[in-house]
Amino acid sequence: MKVYFNYFRLTVCYNPIRTNNFHLTQDKPIFTYMNILVTGATGFIGRQLCFTLANKGYNVKALCRNIHHPYLIKHANIEPIKGDILDTDSLLNAMQGCTQVYHTAAMAKMWCRNQDDFLETNVTGTRNVLQAAQKAGVKRIVYTSTCGVWGPTLKYPLTEEEPRIVGFPIAYERTKYLAELEVNKFVQQGMDVITVNPSRVFGEGPITDSNTVSKMISGYLKGKWRIIPGDGGQISNYSYLDDVVDGHIAAMEKGLTGNRYILGGEDVSFNEFFSTLEQVSGVQRNMVRVPQKVIKFYSHIEALKTKLTGLTPVFLPEFADRLKFNQKYSSQKAVEQLGYKITPFTEAMRKTVDYLKAN
Amino acid sequence: MPQLTAIITGASEGLGKAFAIELGKRSINLVLVSLPGTGLDNLAKYIRKNFEVRVDVIELDLTNSESHQQIFAYLTQQQLTAYILINNAGIGNWDWFIDNNTAFYKKQIDLNVTIPVLLTRLFLGQVDTSTTSYILNVGSMGGRFVVPRKQVYGASKAFINYFTKCMQLELLGTNVKMSLLSPGGINTKPELLVINQQLKGIAKATILEAEDVARIAIDGLFKGKKEIIPGAANKLLVILNGILPGFIKGAIIKGKLKEHGK
Repeated sequence: MKVYFNYFRLTVCYNPIRTNNFHLTQDKPIFTYMNILVTGATGFIGRQLCFTLANKGYNVKALCRNIHHPYLIKHANIEPIKGDILDTDSLLNAMQGCTQVYHTAAMAKMWCRNQDDFLETNVTGTRNVLQAAQKAGVKRIVYTSTCGVWGPTLKYPLTEEEPRIVGFPIAYERTKYLAELEVNKFVQQGMDVITVNPSRVFGEGPITDSNTVSKMISGYLKGKWRIIPGDGGQISNYSYLDDVVDGHIAAMEKGLTGNRYILGGEDVSFNEFFSTLEQVSGVQRNMVRVPQKVIKFYSHIEALKTKLTGLTPVFLPEFADRLKFNQKYSSQKAVEQLGYKITPFTEAMRKTVDYLKAN
Repeated sequence: MPQLTAIITGASEGLGKAFAIELGKRSINLVLVSLPGTGLDNLAKYIRKNFEVRVDVIELDLTNSESHQQIFAYLTQQQLTAYILINNAGIGNWDWFIDNNTAFYKKQIDLNVTIPVLLTRLFLGQVDTSTTSYILNVGSMGGRFVVPRKQVYGASKAFINYFTKCMQLELLGTNVKMSLLSPGGINTKPELLVINQQLKGIAKATILEAEDVARIAIDGLFKGKKEIIPGAANKLLVILNGILPGFIKGAIIKGKLKEHGK
């Protein structure tokens, strides 16, 4: 690994789009390090993406509001840059000399005190990033969306061309959808943007607000999470962080302009999720199955509590409604066009559990 | 029971799409009508795959002179009889009258008024009287309230209101049932998602998701309801509208207009 790493430090960058080939004879070497900006560099996906890109030898500019953020990875090839996607000047400054941009920054929580924050961060922020990239002459952008733009699914795993079947009561999904419409506008103006849509991402990394799967796993390990929603039969798609990060890079290298790629993992029911977790962790818990209606009722109390006190809700009605549906997604397009690889769920769970136990 | 076929106009997005999914869920075959290039094929494929029903797609601009005829010509050619007609396609507006050109109003009136009338006529000409048939006309709460900047849209929905109620009388004793759907706001288009997000209180409560409106509407249609008003807040508004004196309603509307003028 070390040799490989040093080798990269020496050579790097031949062709801005196809840098991942490590043959010295490839194309015309220009012997400069390609600069890549990553927004959301302290986020669950963004930080790991920075690290992987840095290990590949790229000069990574890590955009973050706080350059001393504990989640920011320290690496010789990662340069923290103070900035905010709502501050256009800081974006333009950060993008100087960058060939590529990964826009992973988003408001990915369940709830914000100020609802407008979702719109500001996810829609205005995305527009700002694309505008700055246009001005700075960035060649290619990968935009991190979500499978939430489709949301619930019926019998079969959903593909990119298929329609959304419900409205947008969830602020995160609504604003990520609106952000995709912004992306489309820039693509129509001739910008080279590719969208990736990860499903529920989990893996080795800090437990952030957006990272509900890791929250569930660490809660289970500590004995704090004891419930299985409904009869446990509801199926969701879980993607492994390393796969999603590789998928981002593959989208940058091979993605077709203006296309969307679902970056998912296996479709797994709650029952399978917790039995796998029990099996790989060796931790056994008595789980309680809570009917969807009870969860919905409780969510109304939570919503009322939030309305009266302004305290963060544990759960909201629009999320309780979602427990009536599956969220099954097909990554077939990414597999075929990007060479996307899916780590088996059990293996991904084992790595995550090992990480959470050690940290 | 034979598998029934339903025609839905404006089926590619919003409420029309929700109708298509709701009827698909109930194992009803579909003829989806919408403008070309609106993703109708993908929707049709999805419904076929998930609900195992027959879905036919007709892409055309209903405001083109003879296009309404083409729908029924297609049905005849395919030897299909439609048992349900959902007159859903329509164009809304939220502008001062002077801000749109004549072509816009021509198209709006064609789509909101002329087409439902003509399709209803053609539909009735082909119904199989041995089975109950249904027509659902999509009106609007806007057909009841006089709201500036909704002048032509509201008037077109008032037309649908009158037309439906009159037809209900004419259809008494036949095997055809006609319902009027009078929804409040629905979260459909992207720009509405942004506007509706800012609403609070009762105004927020009048806004529903398309899939809920579609489910309530189809339930009401099969029950033979004359008018379907989805949502408790909307029902309350209709009651209030009946009892509040005119000057209070006027004041509320003026207040609302000021808010939007900001």
